[in-house]
Amino acid sequence: MKLLSSYFKEMRIAARGFYFYIELIMAVILLVILLVAVNEESVSKQKEFLYYDMPPAVEDYIIQKEVEKGALKLIEPTEFKMKAVEFEVENRETDELTSYEFEKEIYNLVTYEEWDPDTGKLIKTAYIAETEEQMIRLAFQERKIGATIVIDDSGERAFRYYNQGYETERLVNLLYILHNKLPEVVEASVDNQNVRKLGEVQTLNNRENLVPVMVVFMGSLMGFFIVVAYIFLDKTEGVIRAFAVTPSSVWKYLLSKTMIIITTVLISSSIIAIPVLRGQPNYPLFYLLLIISTFSFAALGLFISSFYDTISKAFGVLYFFMIAMMVPAFSYFIPSFDPLWLRYFPTYPLLQSMKEIIMVSTDAVYVLKTSGIFLAGGLLLFILANYRFKKTLTV
Amino acid sequence: MLKNVFKIFSRDLKIARRDSMALVIMIMPVLLAVGLVFFVPGLNDTTVNIALLDSDTSEHVAYLDQFAKIEVFGGENELMDRVAKRDDVAAIIPDGNGYEIILQGNEPEMVENYAKALNALYEIGATKEETTAAMYSFGHTVSPVKTMLVNMLISMIIMLSGMLIAISIVGEKSDNTINAVNVTPASQTAFVLGKSMMGGLIALLSIIASLIITGYYDINWFMIILVGLSSMLLSLIVGFVQGLASDDVIEAAANVKMIIIPIAGSIAGYELLADKWQWTMYWSPFYWAYKANMLVLSKTADWPTVLLCTGMVLVLSLAVYFFSRPKIREGLS
Repeated sequence: MKLLSSYFKEMRIAARGFYFYIELIMAVILLVILLVAVNEESVSKQKEFLYYDMPPAVEDYIIQKEVEKGALKLIEPTEFKMKAVEFEVENRETDELTSYEFEKEIYNLVTYEEWDPDTGKLIKTAYIAETEEQMIRLAFQERKIGATIVIDDSGERAFRYYNQGYETERLVNLLYILHNKLPEVVEASVDNQNVRKLGEVQTLNNRENLVPVMVVFMGSLMGFFIVVAYIFLDKTEGVIRAFAVTPSSVWKYLLSKTMIIITTVLISSSIIAIPVLRGQPNYPLFYLLLIISTFSFAALGLFISSFYDTISKAFGVLYFFMIAMMVPAFSYFIPSFDPLWLRYFPTYPLLQSMKEIIMVSTDAVYVLKTSGIFLAGGLLLFILANYRFKKTLTV
Repeated sequence: MLKNVFKIFSRDLKIARRDSMALVIMIMPVLLAVGLVFFVPGLNDTTVNIALLDSDTSEHVAYLDQFAKIEVFGGENELMDRVAKRDDVAAIIPDGNGYEIILQGNEPEMVENYAKALNALYEIGATKEETTAAMYSFGHTVSPVKTMLVNMLISMIIMLSGMLIAISIVGEKSDNTINAVNVTPASQTAFVLGKSMMGGLIALLSIIASLIITGYYDINWFMIILVGLSSMLLSLIVGFVQGLASDDVIEAAANVKMIIIPIAGSIAGYELLADKWQWTMYWSPFYWAYKANMLVLSKTADWPTVLLCTGMVLVLSLAVYFFSRPKIREGLS
C-alpha cells in the first residue's frame, strides 16, 4: 500500500513537471518523423561516373540493349559545378603517377538510373562523361567510383577503374576478378549456383527496423539517465534524508521512482510502436522486455547515483555508459559488422530481442532468455542500490 | 565590461576545476576520438562474411579468402548454427561435384549476390591475373565512414558544450546567484558572455583535439576553426535557451533530449536525403555546421561554400537568439 501511495504521489508530482510531457511530445515527434520522413523501402544513393571509350554507335548499342531490358532508364541531365583543382592519379600496377589540373567549369551529364528488372529497385545512378578526363575529375571531386569502359581490338570489354584509395584489398581484388571472363560466362555460372535458404525469414522495412533502436535508446536507456536526475534532484532537496525519519522504507521510495520511469517509457514507447507496427509484434513479450529492461537500467542508474552527491560528479560515469551502450547500434544497422566483443554489451541482446519481437515468427526462447538475464541483473543492482542508499542515510 | 566577462569566466573555470562534469565534457570527446581510431578499420572492412567447412579444399578456402572474410567450421551443424546467428553470413559447402550456398533467408540481396558471384568465379577458374580491369587510385586514405563518425562526434561536442552551459545556468538559478549578479556592476550582457566562454572554449578545444587524434592534420585549419567558431555560437545559444527554460536538472535533461532531434535529424537528412530533397533541411543550423565540417574533413571544401555554410549557421543561430531573447532577459532578471 505504501509503495502504491508513494507511486501515485510521485506520479502526481511528475505530471505537474515539464519532463513527463516532453517525453510524450518527443514520442509524437518521433512517430511523425517515422511515418512521414522515413521511406519503408530504402532508396539507393549510389552514384558512379562512366566514360565509354568506343565509337558512339557501339556505346549507343550497349546502352540501348540495357534500356530495352528495363535495366537502364534515361532521366534529366545532371549539372555539376566543377571547382578548379589539381591532383594526381596512381596506377596501382605500375605505381606511375599522372597529374591533372583543371579550371572552374560546369558539366551537364547524360544521366541514367540503373534498375533491377526483377525486384524493380533502384540500384544506382550513372553519369556518362564526354571524355575520360571529365570522368576522372568527377570521380575525384564527388568522391565516387569512376570507370572507363573500353572495347579492345578483339571486340571484348575492358575496364579502367578509378578508386578513391581507401578501399580494402578485398574489394579491389573483387573488382579485378569480376572482370575476368566474358560477362555472359560469369552470368551463366552465377545463375547455375545452388542456393538453399534455411527458412523464409521475414525482413523488416526501414520504418519497422528503426523502432527497436528508438525504444531501446530513447526509452530504456534514457530511463537510466532520468532516474539519476530524479534522485539527484531529491538529494538536493533533502527528500532522501527525510526517509530516515519516516515509517516508509527506502526500497519503496526507489521502486516508486523506477515505476515512474517505467510508466513514462511504456507510454512513450507505445506511442511510437503501435502506429508503426500495428498488430505485427508479440505485444506481451514486447511489454515484458520493455518493463524488465527499463527496470534494469533504472536500477543501474540508482546504484550509480548512490555513489555521488550531485549530478555533476556522476556525469562522467553516466555519459561514458550511455555512449558505450549506443555502440551496438553499428552492428544492428550493419549486420556484416558483428565482432564478438560487441555482443557483451547489454544493449546488443536487447536490440536483437526487440527485433525478434517485431518479426512474425518470434524466437520467444531468445527473448525470454534475454528478459531473464536482465531481470536477474536488475534485481541484483536494485538490492545493491537499496543497500547503498540505506547506508548513506545513516551516515 | 571585458573585465567583468573575464571575472565571470575565471569563476566558472575555478568551479570547473572542482567539478568533474566540465572535465568529463572536455576529456570524453578525446577518449571517443581514440576509440574511433581503433573502431573504424573494422567497420570499413565489410565486403561479405563466408562460412566454410574444414573438410573443404585448401584451394577453395584460399581463393575465397582473397575477397571475403572467412570462418572455417569443423562440422555441418556448427556451420548451420553460425548461419542462423543474427548477423549476415553465407555458407558455401561441398555438394556432389560442386558447391551449395546456404543462407538464413533474411540477408540483404547483396550478400546472396556476392556469395553466388564468388563461387561462380571459382568454378569457372577465374583468376585476378587474367583480369581485363586496370585499377587507378586517387590516394585518399580516409574513408567516408570515418569522416562521417568524426563529424558526428563534432555535433555531439556542440550539444554537450551547450549542455554544460545549460546545467551551469540551472545551478546558478538554484543557488540564486543570478539575482545576486543583478545587483553587481556586471551587466546582463557581461554575465551572458562570461558564462558562454567556458562552454565555447571547451567546444573549440575538444573539436581541435578530436581532429588531431583521428588523424585529420592536413585539413584546412582556418576553415575548420571558422566553422568551429560559428558552431560555438550555436552551442552557446542552445545552452542558454535550455538552461533558462529549465527549473531543475530533470528539465535540463529533457531539453537536452529535445535538442537531439534536430541534431540527429540534420545528420540523417544530410546523409540520407536525395540531392533534390536537401533543401528541406536548410532551416537547421546543425545541418549547415555538419555540411561545412563534412566538406572540410573530406578536403572538398572551397571558401565560398564554407562561408555560405558558416553564414547560415550564424544567421539561423542569431534568429534563434532574437526569438528567445525575451525569454533569456526574463530568465536573467
